[in-house]
Amino acid sequence: MQTSLQIKTKPIKLLRWRKIPWTAVIFVMPSVAAFLLFKYYPFFQVFYMSLFDYKLVDGPGRFLGLDNYVLLLKSTTFWIAVYNTFAFFILTLVFVFWVPIVQALFLNEIHRWNRFYRFMFLVPTAVPTIAGIILMKWIYNPDYGLLNGLLSKVGLGPYGWLSDPHMVKYAIVVPGIFGGGLGLLLYYSALQGISKEIIEAAQVDGAGPWHRMRMILLPNLKFIIMIQFMLTLAITFLTFEHILVYTGGGPINSTRVIGLMVYETAFKEYRYGISGAISVIIFLIVGIITYFQLKLSKVS
Amino acid sequence: MVKSQMRRDKWVSLIIILSMVLLAVGCSKPAAEPAITEKPPIEETPAATAAATEEPPKEPVEITIWDKPIGNENDPALKFVKEAFADFEAKYPHIKVNHEAIPTGETERQVFVTAMAGGSGPDAYSFAHFPVIGEWVKQGLVLDLTPYWNEYADKDQYTPAVMGEATIDGKIYGLPHHMYVMGLAYRKHLFTEAGLDPNKPPATWDEFVDYAKKLTKPEQNQVGYALLGMEWADWFFEYYVWQAGGDLTTKNADGTVTLNFTSEPVVKALQYWKDLKWTHKVVQKNVVQGYAENHNDFFNNRAAMILFPSDAAIAVVQNGIELTDIGFAPFPAGPAGKNPSQVGGSYWIINPQTSKAKQDAAWLYITYMLSKEMQEKSLLFTRDSGQIPNILSIRKDVDPSQFITKIPKDLVNGVAKAAENVQLEYFLKERLGTYITKAIQKVLLDEKADIRAELQAAQDLAQREVADPYNQDIKK
Repeated sequence: MQTSLQIKTKPIKLLRWRKIPWTAVIFVMPSVAAFLLFKYYPFFQVFYMSLFDYKLVDGPGRFLGLDNYVLLLKSTTFWIAVYNTFAFFILTLVFVFWVPIVQALFLNEIHRWNRFYRFMFLVPTAVPTIAGIILMKWIYNPDYGLLNGLLSKVGLGPYGWLSDPHMVKYAIVVPGIFGGGLGLLLYYSALQGISKEIIEAAQVDGAGPWHRMRMILLPNLKFIIMIQFMLTLAITFLTFEHILVYTGGGPINSTRVIGLMVYETAFKEYRYGISGAISVIIFLIVGIITYFQLKLSKVS
Repeated sequence: MVKSQMRRDKWVSLIIILSMVLLAVGCSKPAAEPAITEKPPIEETPAATAAATEEPPKEPVEITIWDKPIGNENDPALKFVKEAFADFEAKYPHIKVNHEAIPTGETERQVFVTAMAGGSGPDAYSFAHFPVIGEWVKQGLVLDLTPYWNEYADKDQYTPAVMGEATIDGKIYGLPHHMYVMGLAYRKHLFTEAGLDPNKPPATWDEFVDYAKKLTKPEQNQVGYALLGMEWADWFFEYYVWQAGGDLTTKNADGTVTLNFTSEPVVKALQYWKDLKWTHKVVQKNVVQGYAENHNDFFNNRAAMILFPSDAAIAVVQNGIELTDIGFAPFPAGPAGKNPSQVGGSYWIINPQTSKAKQDAAWLYITYMLSKEMQEKSLLFTRDSGQIPNILSIRKDVDPSQFITKIPKDLVNGVAKAAENVQLEYFLKERLGTYITKAIQKVLLDEKADIRAELQAAQDLAQREVADPYNQDIKK
C-alpha cells in the first residue's frame, strides 16, 4: 500500500531526472573519466607508493607506513629544497608577478600602435623556454658573457651570476622581469572588458588615473590576478626543468627545489617511495596556500 | 513544440555519440599481446640453458629490441645496421625481431624504467649504463644472466674491468654493449704556443700544475684546465681521490657501505682542486658550469686541457677540429703514484618479465651482435665509410687499431695506455653524489672554506640521510 507521501514524491523525482541536462552530462563524461583516470588515480597511487619502499616490478615492495615521511622531515636536504622553493616563489612575486599587470594597465591607455605592442609582447612566447635559458646562460657566463662584458666597461665585475650561491636565485628569476607573454594578454583582455561608461563617469566625477586604477581597474582584474597567483604558485612548486638546465640544483644546493628532488629521487636514485612522499607534501603545501588565498580573496 | 524539438536534439546527440563510440571501437587495433606472458623462471638448470645457447628452440618466437637507429636513409651507419639485422634473421629464421626506436622522453633511462613499470619494456635493451645497472637489478628490471653466462663460449673474451659493474654478488646481469675510458685530452697547438712539448703530456700532479700555468692566458680568455665543478663534480673528483690512494666509499663484504669522505686521500684531492682554482688560478671562472660548456671551451681553445671520454672523438671532428690537434693520455699520477682511469659505457640486459622463450631468443640476439665476427664487421664498415670508430673494444680478441685509418696513431696509443689500468666508479654514487658535490662546490666557490670541516659536514649528512638507512635495509 502506497502512502500519500510516496505518491507525491514520485513525480518530483521524475521531474528532477528529466531536468538533468543529459546531453551536457554525456559530453562531459569522457573528460570526467579521463580526469579520474589520469589525474586522480595517479595521485592516490602516488600516496600509496609513498607508504612503501616501492619496487616497480613485483611491487609494491616493503610496507613502511609513514617512514618515508619521517625520513624526509628529518632530512636537511629536503628542508633546504623547501626553503629554496619558497624563496623562488617570493622572488617571483616580488620581481616578476606584478610586471604584466603594470604593462597591461599602461597598454590599456595606449591606443596608437596598440596592436603592434601586443604583438611584440607575445612573440617571445613562441621561443622555446630551454632556448631562452641557454641564451641567458651565455649572457651570464663570467668569462665571455655579454653581461659581465658590459659591466666591465664601467669598471664592475666580473660576477659569477650562476656560480655565486647568494646571487644565483636572483639570476634565475630576474629574466622574468621583462614581463609580456600570455599573462599580459589575459590582464589586457580583462581590462578591455570593463565598461567604458564606468570609466568615463569616474572621469566626470573627477577621478584621476590613480583613483581609476585603484577603484575600477584593479578590482576588475582581481579574479585574473588570483588565477595567475595560483598558477605561479603551482609552477614554482611543480616545475623544475629550468632549474635543471640553469644549475642542476647547485651551486652548493642553493637552487635545489622540491620539484627537482621528486625527479632525482625517482629517476636518479630509484627511490619511488620517497619521491611519492615529496609529491604528496608538495600537494599539501600548494593546497593549503591556495585554500587560504581563496579564503582571503572572499573576505576582501 | 520547443520541448519536443529539444527532446529530438537529445536523441540525435545520443545517437551520434553512440555511433562515434562504436566507430572508435571498431577502428581500434586489436589488443596487443601482453608483454608479461609468464613469470620469469627462478632457477634454471645448466642443461636447459645449454639447449638455449647451443641448440636454439625452433618454435617461432618474436622479440622486441629497442635498437632501431634514428637517422636519415643516407646515413652509411644505417646500411650496416640493416645488414646486421638481416644477417641475424637469416641465421635464426625462427626468431623475428621487432626493432623499435627508443621512445622519446626526458632521458632514455627514464623512458626505459617507465616502460618496464608499465609492463611494456623491450625484451632486450642495450643502454643499461654502468653506474645504473646495480640499481636496476635491485628494482627487478634485469634478468640474472649467470646460467647463460656459464655456458657462453666467449665469456673469456671480456675483461673483468668491463664486466665489473655487471657482476653483482657473483652473478652476471649484463653483457657490454659499448665502452669508453676517461683520460686527459689536450689541444696540441696550444701546448706548442705555450712552449710545451705536445708529445709529452703532464704525468704528475706537479707537472700538471706547471703545464696549466703556462697554458693559462687571461688576456686570450684561455685557461689551462676546464674543471668540472657542477652537479656531476663527484664524477671527475673521484679520479683525484684514486690518484691520492683512496676512494670515496667502500663496499663492505656484507653489502653495506662505508663513507670515506674525511679520509686523507679525499682531503688531499680536494686541496689539490682548491689550489688549482684559488692558488694557481688555472681553471675557468665559472667552475660550476655544465659538462657541455666545458667541452665547448675545449673545442673553442678557451681551455687547453680537459678530462675526456675516449668514445667522443667524433664530437671533436664534428666541431671542426683535426684529430691531429688532440692529445690523449692517462691521468697525471697523484701523491700515491697511481693514476687509474675510469671505464664507462653500457650493458645489454634482458627483461626478466618476458617469457623464457623470448629470453633465450634475446640472449642469442645479443651474443650474435657481440660476436667477434660482427664487431669486426662493424669496424670494417666504419673504416670503409670514412667514419670515426670507438677506439676501445669491449672484446679482447677484437683490435680496433687494425681498422683505424683516420685516427692518429698516438691518439690510439694514448687511449690504449689509459685503458691498461682502470677502476670502477665509487659505490652508491647515484645516491651520494649530491652530498660530496656540495662540499666540493663549497671549497671551489669559497676561498676561505675549511676543507676538513666541509667534508666532515658532507659525511655526517650523507651518513644520516643515505648510508644509515641503506645499511639498515641491507641488514633486514
